[in-house]
Amino acid sequence: MNRTFGALALLFILGVLLIVANPQYGLKFGLGGSDWQKYRYTDQYYIEHGIEEVGGTNIVTDIVFDYRGYDTLGEATVLFTAIAGAVALLRPWRRDEDGE
Amino acid sequence: MENDMGLIVKTMARATIPLIGIFGAYVVSHGHLTPGGGFQGGATIAGAGILFLVAFGLNEAKKRYDKNLYSVLEGLGGLAFLGAAMLGLSVAFFYNILWRDKIAFAGQPGTLLSAGFLPIMNLAVGLKVFTGLVSAMMAIALFRRWKK
Repeated sequence: MNRTFGALALLFILGVLLIVANPQYGLKFGLGGSDWQKYRYTDQYYIEHGIEEVGGTNIVTDIVFDYRGYDTLGEATVLFTAIAGAVALLRPWRRDEDGE
Repeated sequence: MENDMGLIVKTMARATIPLIGIFGAYVVSHGHLTPGGGFQGGATIAGAGILFLVAFGLNEAKKRYDKNLYSVLEGLGGLAFLGAAMLGLSVAFFYNILWRDKIAFAGQPGTLLSAGFLPIMNLAVGLKVFTGLVSAMMAIALFRRWKK
């Protein structure tokens, strides 16, 4: 009984979300319609000039490694810092060896 | 200490680990042409390493894992990424001078040797992500802190 009620509640929430998030008549995140092309012209710029300026046919790689290179540099730094932190936290500490 | 899996899992891992590695290498080397790139391909190859650890156990993985080699390779990947970004420093950081001035890797768009420093960066980031993830996984597997 409880499980059935839970499943029905989940289904109801999913339906409400589908209605609310529909861009036709629900919530709008940002500009709808054709207005976005006026304010978000960088998207169209990357699609049109990516191949001639960077040379890769994969526009995402063009953006990630060339137009937004600093972001990728920071991402690599975050990966390195995470691994260094994991090793530093997980390795045996001196207090553990004394206790055993 | 027995921490490896059974015969079926080991045989399947022997068959699939090379295929996973080849697919990851394809994703890295074609990063500027098809969906994917250094991060995704490196994570895929690291998945092969994780499969090796899960199937064959920690003792077998410890024999094949060299801490110093992986540290050097990760540093090399990061430095190659930075060096490729600094190639066009006469104009700007991250300026794709190899492609704009047609120095190297300047074939037709869509071929493997095109897009300037993008293939170099993809290889460097793939190497860095692969060695980094394998190192993190080995650290987590080796330094377990809970008592038996």
